[in-house]
Amino acid sequence: MKFRAFLTDNGVNLLDKRFLPALDKMGKICYLYLTRDHVYFLHNLLNGDGIQSIAQFRIEALFDEYRISSQNDDRISFTIDLSLLHRALRSIISIYTEFSASHGGDPVGDSAPNRLQIKLVKKLPPHSQQPMPFLTLEAKGYRSAVIQDVPISKPLSRSDVLELQAALDMAQDLPQTLIRVPDMHQLQNFVDRMKNVGDVLNVSISKYGDLHLQVSTTLITLGAEFRKLLVIGEQAESPTGDQNLSAQSRTRIALQRGDAMMVQVSVKHFFKSLQCHLAKPDCAFYGIALQGACLTVIFQFFIPGTHQTDKAISLHCRLPVLDPGSS
Amino acid sequence: MSSSAVEPESPDLVCQLDKVQGVVDALTSVRWKRHQDAVVELSEHGIVLIVEETACLQAKVYLQRELFVRYEYSAEGRPRFGVSLGLFVDCLNTFSVPGHSSAIEICYPGPDMQLLLKSVDSSGACTYAEIRTRIPDTISWDYNFEPAGSTPLSFTVKSAALKEAIDDLEWPGSSIHLILQPTPPSVTFRGEGHGDLQIDFMCYANTDLLVAFHCDRQVSHRYKYKFLRATTSNIPSSVIRDNRGSKLTIGRGGMLKVQHLVSVAKPAMPHPHIDSAGYQQPSRIAYIEFFVKPEFDDDGANDT
Repeated sequence: MKFRAFLTDNGVNLLDKRFLPALDKMGKICYLYLTRDHVYFLHNLLNGDGIQSIAQFRIEALFDEYRISSQNDDRISFTIDLSLLHRALRSIISIYTEFSASHGGDPVGDSAPNRLQIKLVKKLPPHSQQPMPFLTLEAKGYRSAVIQDVPISKPLSRSDVLELQAALDMAQDLPQTLIRVPDMHQLQNFVDRMKNVGDVLNVSISKYGDLHLQVSTTLITLGAEFRKLLVIGEQAESPTGDQNLSAQSRTRIALQRGDAMMVQVSVKHFFKSLQCHLAKPDCAFYGIALQGACLTVIFQFFIPGTHQTDKAISLHCRLPVLDPGSS
Repeated sequence: MSSSAVEPESPDLVCQLDKVQGVVDALTSVRWKRHQDAVVELSEHGIVLIVEETACLQAKVYLQRELFVRYEYSAEGRPRFGVSLGLFVDCLNTFSVPGHSSAIEICYPGPDMQLLLKSVDSSGACTYAEIRTRIPDTISWDYNFEPAGSTPLSFTVKSAALKEAIDDLEWPGSSIHLILQPTPPSVTFRGEGHGDLQIDFMCYANTDLLVAFHCDRQVSHRYKYKFLRATTSNIPSSVIRDNRGSKLTIGRGGMLKVQHLVSVAKPAMPHPHIDSAGYQQPSRIAYIEFFVKPEFDDDGANDT
């Protein structure tokens, strides 16, 4: 089982400034899953109770000279502590940039000797007889070289990797209707305040482009409705005259007509899903999976300077529903 | 967009606030514990919210009708209802998301005697809330504040200085003596507990701190620290930064009245865009009053 690659400048930037801060909010520990073509950061894919997050990168989005080999169809997976990985990466970056700067600010190209290497190793940790697996980051500076060993779990067995791949395949289905979130930051502020009022959030999404969030307890009902959002997938014309109704009535009618779906999720999960904006997506879409199986949020990344989706990067989350019977 | 489908009769009150943050600040100032029941009284003059701690401490927030951009009152008498203060504040707070217009309409009662709130804004987003109200608890009226004599016993001090002094008295804790004396004109807070700490505001030495002072005879009363602390500890820092004066008056029987002013006209956080209503009007102040009962020396200890 071997893995060795060089992180590109773009890859370093993506991980350090965007994805590691965002993914760390999803949970400290995640699966890092490496295949011939893709790298995945996966949260809660094999245990059903938390928010699932799937970050997928094409190899060339992060790495150069990527080499992987394993007896399991060149697939390797293990769990890693994201905050440790982020700390190690930041420490390496300081040395790496110091060296680059000393070379007249030249970006480090293929010919430069200094590069940021990442590889899997087995080492004997202090006070131990048993060699342990590490993900090692390595860079040479002008006056120093740094090696950071991030402890990881034992690589997953062949059957566990198969199970992970199956869960990943399962998590790829798209909701029929997706609506675009108007302003993630504002929505995050709002949901942050909602957290104080109740624990369970009713989320309803209609084919007319309405997103309705509501917390309801015996003492209070607090909700927000966002209307006329961009719809992707199945859409419908809103019935005439519905603008004079209350948000609750409008949602009730849309549900009765089969033009909307509603699920209950944890407010905390919903808030977590909004924290993915730390990865600086260009837009975000919410949708409810078939039969209300989960609430899905899909983040879209554009190729810089364009409005075209960057297919090399993808991130989406699946929020478990609290009451699977209601839809 | 009305949040309640049917409203058979016209409600007792429909009012509108152009910015909710000032009201959140004012109500937060009297939120000294997590679960607190409040009584709200409506009248043609405005809204009064009252909270109290059994027989020791009472606070009132006065939201005069002038604070509202619209105030339509059509009830007979003065309707009162009970509400959870924490829930009310948390709920109002969701209406004050930065970068978003925070104008709201408040309406009472809803079809099921709820307090109804909804955002007034046309940008395709609407926030609404329905808060269940209760039959109000009876308010104890023994907080009726009467002057202690023909001349008032009062002083006005900068809010930040008052808060700082009371915070410092946490160390001795337990009970705090408040002493006013005319010669030399001064106010003394003295804590005796785990140790002794005395804080003096000298009238002539600190004219910038002690804004006003009225006292014709020496008075001394003892107050429980935790109640004294409740009068300043929850005032949001944005209000303390305003640093208006807080007025303290000692009434008959040693009842202490602490009055604060909270500006509700300008947003607490600096806004990138200032709308036309952003200028500060002098009348747009919410008044907050605390009444603290003195400790009685039935055990006779520690009294001078």
